[in-house]
Amino acid sequence: MRFDFALVESRLPEIFHALGVTLFMWIIGLIGASALGFLVAVARRFGPRSLSAALGVYVELFRGTPFLIQLFILYFGGPYVGLSLEAIPAGLVGLSVYGAAYFSEIFRAGFEAVPIGHVEAGECVGLNRVQIVRRILLPEMAMLVLPAGVNMAIILMKETAVMSVITVPELTLTISAIGTEFYAFVESLFLLALFYWGLVEICGWLGQVTERRFSRFRLVEA
Amino acid sequence: MNEAAIVIRQLCKKFGSNEVLHKINLEVAQGEATCIIGPSGSGKSTLLRCLAFLEEADSGTIEVYGQALGFSEDPSGRRVRLPASSLHAVRAKVGMVFQQFNLWPHMTALGNVSEALKSVRGLSRAAAEECAMIQLRKIGLGERASYYPAQLSGGQQQRVAIARALALEPRIMLFDEATASLDPELTGEVLNVMRALANDGMTMVIVTHEIGFAASIGRKIAFLDKGRVLLAGAPKDIFRGPRHPRMEQFLDTYLDRGAAMLI
Amino acid sequence: MTPAIFALLVEAAFKTLAISLLSIVIGFLIGMGVSAARLSTRFWIALPARIFVSFFRGVPLLVQLLLIYNLLPAIGINVPSIVAAVVGLSLCTAAYQAENLRGGFASVPRGLLEAADMVGLSPSQQLIRIRAPIAFRLTLPSLVNEAILILKASSLVSVVGVIELTRMAQDLDTSLYKPIQLYAAAGLLYFIINRMIAALGTLAERRYAWGRS
Repeated sequence: MRFDFALVESRLPEIFHALGVTLFMWIIGLIGASALGFLVAVARRFGPRSLSAALGVYVELFRGTPFLIQLFILYFGGPYVGLSLEAIPAGLVGLSVYGAAYFSEIFRAGFEAVPIGHVEAGECVGLNRVQIVRRILLPEMAMLVLPAGVNMAIILMKETAVMSVITVPELTLTISAIGTEFYAFVESLFLLALFYWGLVEICGWLGQVTERRFSRFRLVEA
Repeated sequence: MNEAAIVIRQLCKKFGSNEVLHKINLEVAQGEATCIIGPSGSGKSTLLRCLAFLEEADSGTIEVYGQALGFSEDPSGRRVRLPASSLHAVRAKVGMVFQQFNLWPHMTALGNVSEALKSVRGLSRAAAEECAMIQLRKIGLGERASYYPAQLSGGQQQRVAIARALALEPRIMLFDEATASLDPELTGEVLNVMRALANDGMTMVIVTHEIGFAASIGRKIAFLDKGRVLLAGAPKDIFRGPRHPRMEQFLDTYLDRGAAMLI
Repeated sequence: MTPAIFALLVEAAFKTLAISLLSIVIGFLIGMGVSAARLSTRFWIALPARIFVSFFRGVPLLVQLLLIYNLLPAIGINVPSIVAAVVGLSLCTAAYQAENLRGGFASVPRGLLEAADMVGLSPSQQLIRIRAPIAFRLTLPSLVNEAILILKASSLVSVVGVIELTRMAQDLDTSLYKPIQLYAAAGLLYFIINRMIAALGTLAERRYAWGRS
């Protein structure tokens, strides 16, 4: 095993591009997943029973099957039903839909965790539905949902690696390709592992900082 | 005058900068119930937990039947931590009942009561369970022996907890607000068990909010306020006649809790 | 989707199940060790354990699998790819299970241990008779959850050449050109197995309910 920095240096632009792709997929996927997941949670809570049941099936299916299988269906199966997506869009859609299933459960738990007493108190002082959601439910939920949300964000970041299998040019694909080219599999994979490890640690730290700043919304136990 | 079962001298305890116990001096007589009462935050529970060595005092001594508990202190104030074996020897004579019962949820009532007999006293399973059944019957829960704590009411759980402590035949029983977690209808059954114990001559140290109960079974009442023993004596001296102003203040808050009976 | 094709997928599903179960069990044992190591007062035992947990939870499983698959031959250990896959999965789940166990042990209410102190149970007796059973019960839901996660994660071992459910579907696709049916069928099989695991988990929780309804 030998490690040659000059080799790495020559491919640095490519590596940075790959890092950019990973971060892009992650952040856009995260936004898509949390937005979609929130909508699903709201629809399930405030919408008609039949819609809630149908969305429930979606949630169960996408949480109960591997992400890789979902990507395969979308990327390889899509063209057969007229949906021809390139690797990057396919990865984005796949990650968003996959993540949304989990986020919807996180938000659903958040809705239910706000004590009904707080909502009733709002009703008693005359707040309407919209005001209750905006001024009571959402702020209280935010605090409850934050730890699980941060956790999910980190999970999604690690899942971007799976996209390499459908040829999205992110970190895993790029660095292992470089490794293969220079017969330095192990070194390149270690580097790759360290990259992700570092990213995850930074995210975790950011998450803790955010949680602390929002802790004034913390539910006061009676 | 009975011999002293527990002698507490100059006991001090701080939590951070908060002085919870300040130079506590108290004697618990053998064969009697000593009740410790006082407002929240007065240090009652901390004092009891120090007697069980679940909290370690910062200075002062506790002697149980003449044997030092946890630390020995020489006249110059130097503290020496005593070996674990001495702690075990003292603990073997003391039983404790907690406010939260603390029954082990994965064992039946019988299992809870017999556990220490098996693991600590080395009895065979059959012998331990026989002893445990006797204890359970004494408190009226013989038919519930195979029930898990989750299947018992609060009062029943606390009675099992008492049986668990009694199974080891302690000489002293400590009660840390034993009825504070119970619904009012269920406190009676536990107080009755405690009353029967007192009548049998068990040495008891009872921290409680039940003033009426304390006045009726306690031979000695210690009133704690802000970490100090403000008053200590027989119930009639503490509750009847001209009362200490702080006691008046304290009883006022309890007037609808049974203290009215004392007047 | 002929029955014959489906039968091939089902057969591969059993392989997936076997790989997953093996990894969970091995991972649990390693996880117990790592969890215990983390509690050690000797920093040279506790620190590697912490690093282990941080690494295997911070790096994507795919990267871990690729790493181990390539690392083992490089240091002279030549094993079939399935062994490398199980090793990779086991180490990954071990890190998560170690965290779950840590949480479980920390959640055992202190009062129960104080009661044990008062009746004279020694620390090792407390560990075996009280802390372990209760911690295990508290950890059970996350254990079941982890089992489901590993089952799904096992689809990644297809990338390192193990013929399990996902790989079987891929291989069939190269000759049949019916990706939607094949992958949907594979997905359905994963889903069914996950459901069964969840049901087993519920049964186990009921068995250890200790009188709670």
